[in-house]
Amino acid sequence: MTQSAENVLDHFELFRGPEYQEMLVNKRQQFENRRDPAEVERVREWAKTPEYQEKNFAREALTINPAKACQPLGAVFAAVGFESTLPFVHGSQGCVAYYRSHFSRHFKEPSSCVSSSMTEDAAVFGGLNNMIDGLANAYSMYKPKMIAVSTTCMAEVIGDDLNAFIKTAKEKGSVPAEYDVPFAHTPAFVGSHVTGYDNVMKGILDHFWDGKAGTAPKLERVPNGKINFIGGFDGYTVGNLREIKRIFGLMGIDYTILGDTSDIWDTPTDGEFRMYDGGTTLEEAANAIHAKATVSMQEYCTEKTLPFIAAHGQEVAAFNHPVGVAGTDRFLMALARLTGAEIPVELERERGRLVDAIADSSAHIHGKKFAIYGDPDLCLGLAGFLLELGAEPTHVLATNGSKAWAAKVQELFDSSPFGKNCHVHPGRDLWHLRSLLFTEPVDFLIGNTYGKYLERDTGTPLIRIGFPIFDRHHHHRFPLWGYQGGLNVLVTILDKIFDTIDLNTNVPSKTDYSFDIIR
Amino acid sequence: MSSLSATIQDVFNEPGCAKNATKSAADRKKGCTKQLQPGGAAGGCAFDGAKIALQPLTDVAHLVHGPIACEGNSWDNRGAKSSGPTLWRTGFTTDINETDIVFGGEKRLFKAIREIIEKYDPPAVFVYQTCIPAMTGDDINAVCKAAREKFGKPVIPVNSPGFVGPKNLGNKLAGEALLDHVIGTEEPDETTPYDINIIGEYNLSGELWQVKPLLDELGIRILSCISGDGRYREVAYSHRARAAMMVCSKAMINVARKMEERYGIPFFEGSFYGIGDTSDSLRQIARLLVDRGAPSDLLDRTEALIAREEARAWAAIAPLKPRFAGKKVLLITGGVKSWSVVAALQEAGLELVGTSVKKSTKEDKERIKELLGQDAHMIEDMTPREMYRLLKDAKADIMLSGGRSQFVALKAAMPWLDINQERHHAYMGYVGMVTLMEQIARTLFNPVWEQVRRPAPWDDPANTWQARADAQLAAEAADPEKVEQARRAGAICTCKGVDLGTIEDAVRAHGLTSLDDVRRHTAAGTGCGACASRVEDVLAALPALAAE
Repeated sequence: MTQSAENVLDHFELFRGPEYQEMLVNKRQQFENRRDPAEVERVREWAKTPEYQEKNFAREALTINPAKACQPLGAVFAAVGFESTLPFVHGSQGCVAYYRSHFSRHFKEPSSCVSSSMTEDAAVFGGLNNMIDGLANAYSMYKPKMIAVSTTCMAEVIGDDLNAFIKTAKEKGSVPAEYDVPFAHTPAFVGSHVTGYDNVMKGILDHFWDGKAGTAPKLERVPNGKINFIGGFDGYTVGNLREIKRIFGLMGIDYTILGDTSDIWDTPTDGEFRMYDGGTTLEEAANAIHAKATVSMQEYCTEKTLPFIAAHGQEVAAFNHPVGVAGTDRFLMALARLTGAEIPVELERERGRLVDAIADSSAHIHGKKFAIYGDPDLCLGLAGFLLELGAEPTHVLATNGSKAWAAKVQELFDSSPFGKNCHVHPGRDLWHLRSLLFTEPVDFLIGNTYGKYLERDTGTPLIRIGFPIFDRHHHHRFPLWGYQGGLNVLVTILDKIFDTIDLNTNVPSKTDYSFDIIR
Repeated sequence: MSSLSATIQDVFNEPGCAKNATKSAADRKKGCTKQLQPGGAAGGCAFDGAKIALQPLTDVAHLVHGPIACEGNSWDNRGAKSSGPTLWRTGFTTDINETDIVFGGEKRLFKAIREIIEKYDPPAVFVYQTCIPAMTGDDINAVCKAAREKFGKPVIPVNSPGFVGPKNLGNKLAGEALLDHVIGTEEPDETTPYDINIIGEYNLSGELWQVKPLLDELGIRILSCISGDGRYREVAYSHRARAAMMVCSKAMINVARKMEERYGIPFFEGSFYGIGDTSDSLRQIARLLVDRGAPSDLLDRTEALIAREEARAWAAIAPLKPRFAGKKVLLITGGVKSWSVVAALQEAGLELVGTSVKKSTKEDKERIKELLGQDAHMIEDMTPREMYRLLKDAKADIMLSGGRSQFVALKAAMPWLDINQERHHAYMGYVGMVTLMEQIARTLFNPVWEQVRRPAPWDDPANTWQARADAQLAAEAADPEKVEQARRAGAICTCKGVDLGTIEDAVRAHGLTSLDDVRRHTAAGTGCGACASRVEDVLAALPALAAE
């Protein structure tokens, strides 16, 4: 017996035992009717050729290994950033289980979110009853201060009208009439998770600013000196928002973070379960209308929200997930311009330290080729930083990248001599990237956890930056923004470069003449 | 201890060293290396020097006898490369404790040697003495001798405790250990008329392997390399070589000279840095071998190989020329001679705006003038501020220097490339020069420099440190008194801290005419002696004063 009670083997070891191996071989030989291994090998090699790439890129209908998620995921992300807010997804419950597991696996925190659990009859007759019962149950069971409603495809396809449904539910007494239930339609068959983030952020602001769906007077904007800050859908939100708060504090800026997810996804283990923690208070969300300006860190996460805010008379500024020296410079200068605040000595010193760190180790990054995939803004931020380091972001790919985004990436390439041989791939997936990594190889790949298959198949070392990161823990606690964040990204890249050098030099008496302790 | 001090005196008395030969007997006794200034930032100790010189011997166990400080901070810190054995990278130390200090650590050392031999069975164990057991009186010579007799294995004492002096002295003491205990103790299986030794080469970044194929092609065998990628046995039978090349650093000159004395192996001092130097060295090797009886066709074959390899290297450098057009280089070097890479830089189309001559001899300076013209900018010593000015005035686009200047260059916002020992690229031989040119090209176009030079966007351009430095330099240049002050403050003797003004005053006051006069009156030149040529330059510039 391979397995025994005295020494229980886990799956890493168990199935390598002779009994299992024998069983698997038998199964393969007697029942599986496998292809000729030589043919498998031939196809495997053929899939690395330009000829295959051409066919791969001619794909019209099929998406293989997408590097994007759905609108409702972004909807939930935006909603949990508000004080004691329960995201309520109108539609099928299976979808919601995905969002919860997705966030839990990335942030290693519970993620509360409920669904109206629509079933077949709801799909046929409409989901009104699910909304009525759902809001009532969620309100009484979880006692949120606000319920933010978004939708899945199922509700969208049958055309459920959230505004009318919520009104009816209130009339039926599911929740009090004055209770805050902002909403947004977030069908997964349009856009991606960044779109969902945008829709819900806009939906919440619309709710508070423009009369709570006709149940209250619209707010009159009385400008003050505050700055609103929107982080966008961001896998590093815990570290990033805390860094942003520190920067605002150092600069003495009075600010409101709209959608502050830094605490809800980093609750302490101290014996108390926090279903809700931190977040932008509802009062702050309402008062955000009076701010002088709103800064969005991710343009493509706020494509509708920012114009909405601008229409209320605020100045708005959008960035593309700035990473590194020049990106952070632009961000800080915008803050300084908007508020009249001085750049404090601390930040000036941090800038100098980042430049120093870059100078100390840039020789290892300079001239290296990278492929990046991820959300549109993150791609832009990382590509900009790589160009700053003298690296070539040879392939920049976003499944949820638009043509306008591609033009912006191209513009970035054109601004640097290192962007000369770089390509942008909007709307492509990871199977496209697989071809590219064979036909036009790079030194390193930057992407999320799913990149590990590309790493394995193509031998391109993966630097994990993005969302989701399931197989490495706690990186979301460290910022990518600000000069400190730039340092983190630099170190993450360098670590992988040095690990790769070590891996290439670790065979005793063969390659280990370069297995050095000083790099 | 008396035998150690005798060895040190012997090492100081090195007749093979040109610099040493010009010294007075009294100065020679003081030593050939810079005296350490208490309170000053100092380099490594004699132990470190001995260790780094021998550590590249790859198949021996290097055992450091002392408290954890010595080996704990230094094990496997050398970028030398091995083509096989890895034992040299294992850190062995006796890690002595209080009991060993009170009762002596010899027993522990003996046991450590035994454990190494039992567990690893290396061809030899090198035992390094350090300050503490040297002070408490552990006799490593006796322990090594006993171990050698007991285990029938070479156990080599390397007597170079840190306190006896600086790193450079340690290099030489390491050489003495080889001469006393290793060289000549074994015989090679066979000898050829083409056997050479390469002395003082450490195969850093695997550099020697860029030259070895050329020697292989010519049929020249490196009988022993001391010590890069070396094996114990190779060193033990190195006395059977026909000729030797001493790689330009003077670290192991005692080994080369004494092997000539004892075994009649002629040597020359050469370098594989730079295309011309590599060719010269190959020629010299061939000539020495032919002088010692190798067939004379070796000379022709060598010339043919040189012609081919030079053409190849120039062809590889040629495509880089457009990238170098109009680019200017500042060369600040220590170990690598200033002129040895100049030709390659010039051939690649780089313009040399200056080179450091701090450690160069008079002959070096002449050669620089030959290569760069009479107006060559020879920099004795440069402050970061001056470095910055040179850069600002578009006089230099890149600085090539050793690691020590790296941070100065960075703070002065100057592109910088390491060409000394801590580099990670191999620059030796023809291939190495091409690598160097490629690295220069990469460094020149690294965007980090733009980043480093650009002030933060919120900075007032009139109030950056660069602007302030400019203003200060301009103010000084406008004031003749300050110009004179700055001129007189130029360092001549760095060991004793004597500036130009002091020497000029002494020459004027006492009508001094010779180097010895200046030494007596100002103490200049009584340290390492490297400033002798600078003092002579001062004397030459003041003939009228001396006559007064």
